[in-house]
Amino acid sequence: MATCTGCALLCDDIEAIVENNRIKETRNACRRGAARMKGCVNRLVPSIDQKPTDIESSIRKTVEIIKNARSPMLFGLDNSTCEAQAKGIRLAKKLNAVIDDTSSFCQGLLIERILQKKLRTCSLDDIRNKADVLVYWGSDAQDSQPRHLSRFSYFPRGESRQRGYEEDRKAIAIDVRESNTAKICKGHFYRIPLKGDREFILALIEALSGKVPAYDTKKMLELAGILKKAEFGAVFVGIGLTYSIKEDFDILTALAEKLPNFNIMPMVGHYNMRGFNEALFKETGFVNRVKLEPKAVHDNKYSIMESLIRKNTDAIIVVGSDPMISLPRPVLTYLASIPVICIDPCISMTSKIAAVTIPCAATCMESGGTAIRMDGKVISLSKIITSEYMPDEEIMDRLMEAI
Amino acid sequence: MDIGKFLKSPEYEIKITTYRDIFQAEAMERDRFGEEYKMLSAAISISKIDMQKMGLKPKDRVKISNSYGSIIVEAKETKKDEPGGLAFMVNSPWSNSLVSGDTQGKGIPEYKNINAKISLSKEEITTLEKLIAPFIKKPIPF
Ligand code: SF4
Repeated sequence: MATCTGCALLCDDIEAIVENNRIKETRNACRRGAARMKGCVNRLVPSIDQKPTDIESSIRKTVEIIKNARSPMLFGLDNSTCEAQAKGIRLAKKLNAVIDDTSSFCQGLLIERILQKKLRTCSLDDIRNKADVLVYWGSDAQDSQPRHLSRFSYFPRGESRQRGYEEDRKAIAIDVRESNTAKICKGHFYRIPLKGDREFILALIEALSGKVPAYDTKKMLELAGILKKAEFGAVFVGIGLTYSIKEDFDILTALAEKLPNFNIMPMVGHYNMRGFNEALFKETGFVNRVKLEPKAVHDNKYSIMESLIRKNTDAIIVVGSDPMISLPRPVLTYLASIPVICIDPCISMTSKIAAVTIPCAATCMESGGTAIRMDGKVISLSKIITSEYMPDEEIMDRLMEAI
Repeated sequence: MDIGKFLKSPEYEIKITTYRDIFQAEAMERDRFGEEYKMLSAAISISKIDMQKMGLKPKDRVKISNSYGSIIVEAKETKKDEPGGLAFMVNSPWSNSLVSGDTQGKGIPEYKNINAKISLSKEEITTLEKLIAPFIKKPIPF
């Protein structure tokens, strides 16, 4: 059995059919997972200033750039193994660099509170075995973590939920759009206006406290009634909710206090984003946006966005991430103007503007290790095919040695 | 062809939010420079009511712009009945072209809360090559 690294569900029941050292077919994976396991069509080659070179020259050039940088940054590592992440953090420490990852503009706010134990959480296995009320909030799992409902939440039979979705489980969607997940939650879809989550939470808190909320009274009381009856509930928090309440995130803690039978689950995209957050948290007490001087200093100005807006970084190592694809256009001009070192298995938008590219092995196809699932469970990733590419863990080692 | 007709195409204010789509994610895993990824990303889904209000038909090309960027994408009708007032784009470099870089010092952009202007267009759908071109110092064959 292989593990899929297509999202943070890390499905470890994948059968991979290998032919001539290539994954020809997969069984059990979703569309995204299958495509990821078969690999991208454009593999990255080592290059300096967009001219092909060999890997040793790319590594040498990286070291030269980083040594000359006044304020280097290490960004990414969410698509790397825990082993590579630990080495990345050590490398950043050695460089007195800023370190940040995609959680900085994704689920970082939520994971931080979970690791600080400010929000109650549980495992996905608990959800499969016990959960009776499932709330997908600002989360379209069907498209983002496509096997979430079938492996863990709505459809499976669980120890105390033998009748699965037909009788034992209720799924609720709260969203601005009738997503594919909302479609499954028939009759329990609550549409909210854009940025309307805060108001909805406040009204729900009122309803749960026995008051009559002014906001959509009938539906709100109905929802509060369902939530109150839950024996074991879960709120799956998607980035829709996180973005919407980012200015007042503690309101989620206030809601959780009113829902003692519920657990909060962060819906994570990148397969090992939680791994990065946990590793950095263990080392520094923060999940992202840290300058390792080497003493850890946390500040919003160390987020990738603010580092680029304020032009605070003068060289950046990007590992397994494509900020040119995921960041707003206004910050790309500055990103493209500084030396970027791109470490990735595939050609990306970032590799197209990089001063140096270093190809690496694709995790769980060409290299192994461990990763942390969205619920905090450690999952092992085994290598399925051989390849000439270095795992990113080894690249981190090489950079460390040379620096 | 009366080009003037298109030059005078009315412009409407539009609010856009972004979402994820498994088919687009699948296409990205395979080849983010491919046609499939482009077709699934360079599109905007608008409710039937708003399409009618703006005089748009499915498959029309539309220009969406604001002070951060400008893109040409295909207009689609939302699969499910949406109440209107909000349009939808799959999160991609196309939607990111319209997102402000200002995070109020907090580091999280407003990816899901975009205000822009929309009008019918005759121009070609914006390619990824075009989106990335201003950032590439030397031309590289794709
Ligand atoms: S749900 Fe996620 S981990 Fe599971 S097969 Fe799909 S992409 Fe892979």
